[in-house]
Amino acid sequence: MLDQVLTEYRGKVRLVYKDFPLPGHTLARPAHEAARCAGAAGKYWEYHDRLFQAQPNFERADLLRYASDLGIPAEPFVRCLDGGRFRGLVEADIQQGRLLDVTGTPMFFINGQRIEGAAPFETFKALIDEALRNVR
Amino acid sequence: MRGLTRWLWLALLTGSLSGLAPASAQITETEVRLTLDPAMVKGSPNAPVIIVEFSDYQ
Repeated sequence: MLDQVLTEYRGKVRLVYKDFPLPGHTLARPAHEAARCAGAAGKYWEYHDRLFQAQPNFERADLLRYASDLGIPAEPFVRCLDGGRFRGLVEADIQQGRLLDVTGTPMFFINGQRIEGAAPFETFKALIDEALRNVR
Repeated sequence: MRGLTRWLWLALLTGSLSGLAPASAQITETEVRLTLDPAMVKGSPNAPVIIVEFSDYQ
């Protein structure tokens, strides 16, 4: 749906993804770190999409296999993941989410206006159109 | 929103938290600065509307 938003509002909307692994999802944090490791190899969005398709299979072997499937070089990816290279940045996203009272996912902010959960396109459209009117 | 707290946000490349003192004693505005990883951004860098998505993979 967000790809539909980006297509329909091309040039007018930017999407920023923030990590917010929920406390009850024990394998979630490594998955978020792995996505950032994939990003370091230039494949963030491909890996991001792969994780959504593969959920909840986020054991270490799964994360390595997804990287391999996407052609991401194994050694630097393993070093990145096992070394916790992006652990601090994932934690920073979590802390920023908490400051914004994020308690569940997905949570969206459209120029500061909050949308909780997976809302329909029409909801996004209304807020985007309002935001565009306000910036003119 | 929690109570009368009104949240504002601003996306920058550094992270910090600062409080803004409002004229009204009953309304608090808080500015939260978000860090931004360019690899995790889609769309035009000059787009006037920014959608920030906090999400998990499960």
